[in-house]
Formats: sequence, structure tokens, C-alpha cells
Amino acid sequence: MGKGRPFLEVFTCALNEDYRFPILEILVFLCALCTFVLGGLAAVSGFTTGEAFTHNIVSSSTLPLIILVVIPILKNIAYGLGSDIEKGITQTLFSYPLKRGYILTAKLLSALGIPLLLFLGISIFGLFLLFPDIILANPDTVFLTYAAQLSPVLLAAGLLLLLALRLKRGVLALITGLGLCIVLFVIFDAIVNSLAYTTGSDWSLKIYAVITPNLALQEYYLGTILGFTHKIWVPSFSEVLLYLLAGYLLVALVFTIGYVYFKRGLRI
Amino acid sequence: MRWITLLGRTGTVILMVGLALVLVSLPPPASPSQSSHAGSMWPEEYRIHHSGVYRPQTGFQISVESTDNIRVYLLGVSPLEFDNWKTQIREAYPDLGHMLDDFFVVPLIFVREAYPDLDDPQIEDILDIMWNIAVLEKGLQTHPEIVLWESPPSSTLSHEFLPADVLYITFIVANPSPDRVEVETKTKDLTVLAPKERVVLPAVLLISIGIALAIPWLILRKVKRSTL
Repeated sequence: MGKGRPFLEVFTCALNEDYRFPILEILVFLCALCTFVLGGLAAVSGFTTGEAFTHNIVSSSTLPLIILVVIPILKNIAYGLGSDIEKGITQTLFSYPLKRGYILTAKLLSALGIPLLLFLGISIFGLFLLFPDIILANPDTVFLTYAAQLSPVLLAAGLLLLLALRLKRGVLALITGLGLCIVLFVIFDAIVNSLAYTTGSDWSLKIYAVITPNLALQEYYLGTILGFTHKIWVPSFSEVLLYLLAGYLLVALVFTIGYVYFKRGLRI
Repeated sequence: MRWITLLGRTGTVILMVGLALVLVSLPPPASPSQSSHAGSMWPEEYRIHHSGVYRPQTGFQISVESTDNIRVYLLGVSPLEFDNWKTQIREAYPDLGHMLDDFFVVPLIFVREAYPDLDDPQIEDILDIMWNIAVLEKGLQTHPEIVLWESPPSSTLSHEFLPADVLYITFIVANPSPDRVEVETKTKDLTVLAPKERVVLPAVLLISIGIALAIPWLILRKVKRSTL
């Protein structure tokens, strides 16, 4: 027996556990509704044209990421994986003729891959349906915006994975993970903006842009239109690409640590 | 069983996307702002009463009342063509100053079509001829593709308009009669979240495919539950 069948077996089990009917359907409905509504509202507001307008539409319609990707990440990675370790399900999975790395890949494919696939599918379908001309005119802007918006979400997924593996408790990992996400993406955001505003220095924005490259991209496209920060920091296009690269390197580092820990350090 | 489950869940997901599309197309167009314009029009003259860039999510409703029969035209130019026209106008009439903004691009292109030999005119020369209905007719003959809607001669009319694509729209009122006419126009902006003509067909398709894929799984699920 090859590795394919046990891998599929673990993947199917994870899918069954992660997406009981009708949780996935409710999330998809809410995500689709938010994508269409927010995209439509962004088009109506239409304060500018060209690449900035495309960025505005795409980033507005990616807000449902929170519904379709962040909620499943919290539920499936922080709570799900933590509970699996806590209840000994992971130990059972280790008895499969499958390397630990493949088991984690199957789990992550279900917990992260499926929501990402659905989100991208719905989002791109919605944008092509509502704004085909705008999207086709600036495909590079669309790609960059998606990449920038997904980077912090993937970083959050990686950090939640580390938390779940370290804490080995579902509820504890969920609560801690939720707190971490709020601190990283809400409280830090407010602090960074306040610091930039009060000190007039761009260093806080630059550091925070490594974690959230969408900040750099937003400043690049909309800096001259939105808010005060454009006076403090307007990155160049090559700088934006560097921040994006740094963001994804950070994501890769966190996931690598997670994989190494799952394969070698996880004691159950 | 696994294939039926996979297809069934895919079906329910597709169904949900279709339902979200239907829901988003249901709200009627909202009207965030309204403007009105009243004045008299000289014989055989035309005027622009409204212009701007509109998308499939944004349109407007116009209502016109006049003391004699008038004609209303809605003209739509793609942004690419509009930029091209703007460049042509700037090259042909470099001394027109404030008249080189977007509002005057369409009438100036019509002037250029009607008077191709007009060499380096001043603002006064252009104003003398620009609003003449013959200029409009010549322009429309040369560019019939830009006419999105043309009213029959009437003294009271109303029209609702949502463009199918991104267009620079010009709303023109023309007085073809030999008498002066008092005209009052009201323009109400309309906004929709998702244009019905783009959304309905994909929504129907998604819902049909979703139901077709989900039914076998739902039946199997029900049978399985009742046997337990």
C-alpha cells in the first residue's frame, strides 16, 4: 500500500471532523454575501480609478477572509488540532503507515487549504462577475492585493499551529490563539498607527508591515487618498514587494518550525 | 458513498453561493443624491444637463418637463475612447483653457466633426457654434455607436438608466423647435450592489447545479438517519 491511501484516509477524517453539515455552508453563504456586498459598495464609492480603484475593490471584497478563513483556522487548527492531541486522536493517527509530516499536511489541507480554496474561488468568481473590465485591466494589482491580504492570515494560521502543538489543549489553544490574533492584528495596529501619528516617524509602520504587508500595499496605492499615514510613509513599489517577500518568509519560517516540532519535538 | 457525499457537499456550497447572489440582487436601486436644473433653451440649441463616469453599479434616473417638445439623448463613451478624444481635443484646440476639462470633451469632438477646418479657435468662436443642434446631429451621425438612448420628441419624459459597462455618460437635452423652450430636468443617482442582468443567470445556474448535486446526498442522508 502506497502513501496515497492512508493520506487520503487522514484527510477525509479531518474533513469530516472540520466541516460538519451545515457549518461550511453557513460560512460560504456569509462569505459570498459579504464579498458581493462589500465589492458592490466599494464600486459605488469609486473615489478613484485605475490600479488604486482595483486595489480598493479587491481589498474590500477580501474582508470576508475573516469569516471563511480565520474562523475555520481558529476552530480547526487551534481548537481542532489541540483537542486531537488532548484526546489522543493524533496518537492514533501516528499508528498509520504515514510519516508525521504527511499527517500534519493532511490536517492543514483540510483546516487551511479548503477554506482558502473556497475563499479564493468565491472571491475571484464574484469579482469577475461584477467587475470583469476592472479586474482584467489590472491582473497584477489583483494578484498583489490577494497575496498581501493572505500573508497575515497565513501567519496567524502558523502561530495558531505552534500554539496548539505547544499547549496540547483545544480550549486553551483556542482562547490563547484568539487573544494572540486580537493583540497582533487589532491592538498592535492601533498602537502602530498612534505611534506613527504622534511621533511622525515611519519606523513603527515599517516594522508592522513585515507582519502585515497589506499595510505597505495600501499605503502604496491609497496613501495619497486615505488618512494621515501617507504623509509619514509612502513606500515605493519595490519596497512593497520586499515587505511581501519578508511577510511570506516569516510565514514559511513559522510553518517550518511547526512541521519540525510536529515531526521531532511533539511528545504525546 | 464518499463520492456522493463529496458531490453533495460541493452542491450545497454551490447552492449557497447562488443564494447569496440572489439575495444581493434583490434590493431595489438606492438613490443617494438628486439634482435639478431649470432654464430656458434657445431655438435649435442643445445643452449637457449631466455627465460623469458610471459603472454597472451606478446609474441615474432622469425626468424632464418642458413647455414644448424636446429630445433627450444619453451618450456613452468608453474610458479608453474618452481619453483618446481628450487627447485629440487638446491637440486640435490648445488655447481653450478651462474648456479642456471632461465636461466639454463630447461637444468639442462634435465641433471638430462639424467644422474640421476650424484652425486654432478662441473660446468665443467655439461658444458661438458649440451648442448648435446641427453640430449635435453631425456628431451623432459620425458616432452613432455612442447613443445609448434617444427619446422621441416629447414635453414630459422619464428614464432610468444603469450602464452595462464602465462608461463616460453625457445626458443631453436638445430643442429642435424654432421657439424658446423652458426646460426643467431632475437627475437622481441610482446605486445597486449587483446589477440584475449580470447576476440572475449565474445565480440560476449555480442554484440548479447545486440542487442537482445535493439531492442524492440529502436523500441518502435522510434514509441513513431513518434506518438508524
